Amino acid sequence: MGAFRFMEILAWFRAIISFLIIIVIWQSIALLGLVPEKYFPSILAIAAGFRDMVISGELVSAELRTLSRALLGVASASLLGISLAVLGDLFPSFRRGFAPIAALIQPVPPAALVPMAVFMLGLGPKLYAFIVILVTVWPPYFNGVAALASVSDVQIRTGQMLGLSRWQILRQIKLPAAMPEIFAGIRYASSISLIAVVVAEMLAGHDGLGFLLIRKAFAIRIPEVYALMFVCAVNGLIMNTAVNGLRWRFAGWQLRMAGQAA
Amino acid sequence: MDVVLEARQLAKAYGVGRDALQVLGGISFSVGKGEFVSIVGPSGCGKTTLLFALAGLQKASTGTVTFNGRPVTAPPRGVAVVFQDYSRSLFPWKSNRDNVAFGMVRVEGLSSVQKRDKAQEMLEAVGLQGFEDKYPWQLSGGMQQRVAIARGLASQSELLLLDEPLAAVDAQTRADMQDLLLDLAMRFKQTCILVTHDVEEAVYMADRVVVLTRRPTVVDHEIAINLGKQRDQITTREDHRFLAARHDVMMSIRSSRTAAPATAA
Ligand SMILES: Nc1ncnc2c1ncn2[C@@H]1O[C@H](COP(=O)(O)OP(=O)(O)O)[C@@H](O)[C@H]1O
Ligand SMILES: [Mg+2]
Repeated sequence: MGAFRFMEILAWFRAIISFLIIIVIWQSIALLGLVPEKYFPSILAIAAGFRDMVISGELVSAELRTLSRALLGVASASLLGISLAVLGDLFPSFRRGFAPIAALIQPVPPAALVPMAVFMLGLGPKLYAFIVILVTVWPPYFNGVAALASVSDVQIRTGQMLGLSRWQILRQIKLPAAMPEIFAGIRYASSISLIAVVVAEMLAGHDGLGFLLIRKAFAIRIPEVYALMFVCAVNGLIMNTAVNGLRWRFAGWQLRMAGQAA
Repeated sequence: MDVVLEARQLAKAYGVGRDALQVLGGISFSVGKGEFVSIVGPSGCGKTTLLFALAGLQKASTGTVTFNGRPVTAPPRGVAVVFQDYSRSLFPWKSNRDNVAFGMVRVEGLSSVQKRDKAQEMLEAVGLQGFEDKYPWQLSGGMQQRVAIARGLASQSELLLLDEPLAAVDAQTRADMQDLLLDLAMRFKQTCILVTHDVEEAVYMADRVVVLTRRPTVVDHEIAINLGKQRDQITTREDHRFLAARHDVMMSIRSSRTAAPATAA
């Protein structure tokens, strides 16, 4: 998809420019000594911390663990959220029964889930799966429910006139029509997923970026802490790119349509 | 002449109790094979409601519809609707060709290549060659209308229900579309029911005009239009039989308007 490439390259280009501006401002503040150097190291110190962690190997393994957890988390939570939304569309009684449960669980912050989850699931991969899915499933679910419910009557009647069953109408008309809104939910979910993973690693992990961040903070290795924060930010960009790629695949028509209108 | 569609005493109310709105008050008429019937009635009289009942999309409160002798309880095979809101009936994620091919989604015995070829043929029949790979949202309203018609024909329809298809297009497009519809109806041997509030159009297109009253709507009058199948935008409209038929329809609408009980809208 040429358009996708172009848009993504543009997005990364913009990100790099913004990043350079931040570096310049940062370095000026550090050089002028506006903030104690202890808490606000120069870019060079942060880069050195970054290099040390790369050489020791701890950064790469932490990064791979965190990123794969976040990606796996948002992927499975999205599939689950979409499936629940589809179930709710096929069986309105399910949707009504599920609504109060969703309303109750959804506002709980990820950190508050960790203690109980540790008791129940221990410190392994199940813990991450549980926490990430529980906080990430909602945007795809709620967007899916809303989008499936608002598919135009005319489109549904068109399917009925062509002899499609309820299930075929869902599969071939409602789901494609709902994809743009579902992907807006997935995009939001992907950033929550990253936050949830890092928080879980901080509170109950023995590896990953969150764990490394806490360890460096307790060791008062401030440049390393900043370097890790930077890595977290880059992860956000990576997740965003991955979701956008899928969005072009499944809901690209809407972007092209909007692009034409603009 | 074989009867393709028959409506008997169709009545429909929306809502219940004191808030109920009696829209259709017992409509009866029938349509023969190959006939082009126009149904005229003012906005809000229940034309779309009637068409949905004929198509099996929405049950009437009482009364029956039969298509080729069989009672209609769900959308039957062989009936296609071009919706009033046709542009929203097209799928924006499908190219125009795929939209038309989707008309054959439940047609058996055709490979996907054959469906693709057939879609291409239908797009050419409505004059949209060159736009196959474009998307509906890249087309003007009149062109979207043509895609919707092509999809209906592709679904192997024999009865085409057209819900005010030309209400939203400019005068020149409208004239072109009227002639295209007449041409397609003949070429593809379609029986057509055209619902409209435009008297001129109703007479120009039809072999017979069914005039509706105001709500609760019933058939006021049926007028045969003896102008033959060949119509022409200039000569037909000047033909004294056209003018006489138009006069009849307008008189019948005027009398039903004064005769109708005053309803609180
Ligand atoms: N689903 C519905 N529920 C309640 N009232 C409706 C519904 N659909 C149509 N109506 C009302 O019924 C009347 C006839 O509508 P419609 O069949 O769309 O008329 P027309 O197509 O002739 O303009 C209108 O007053 C409209 O407001
Ligand atoms: Mg209408």
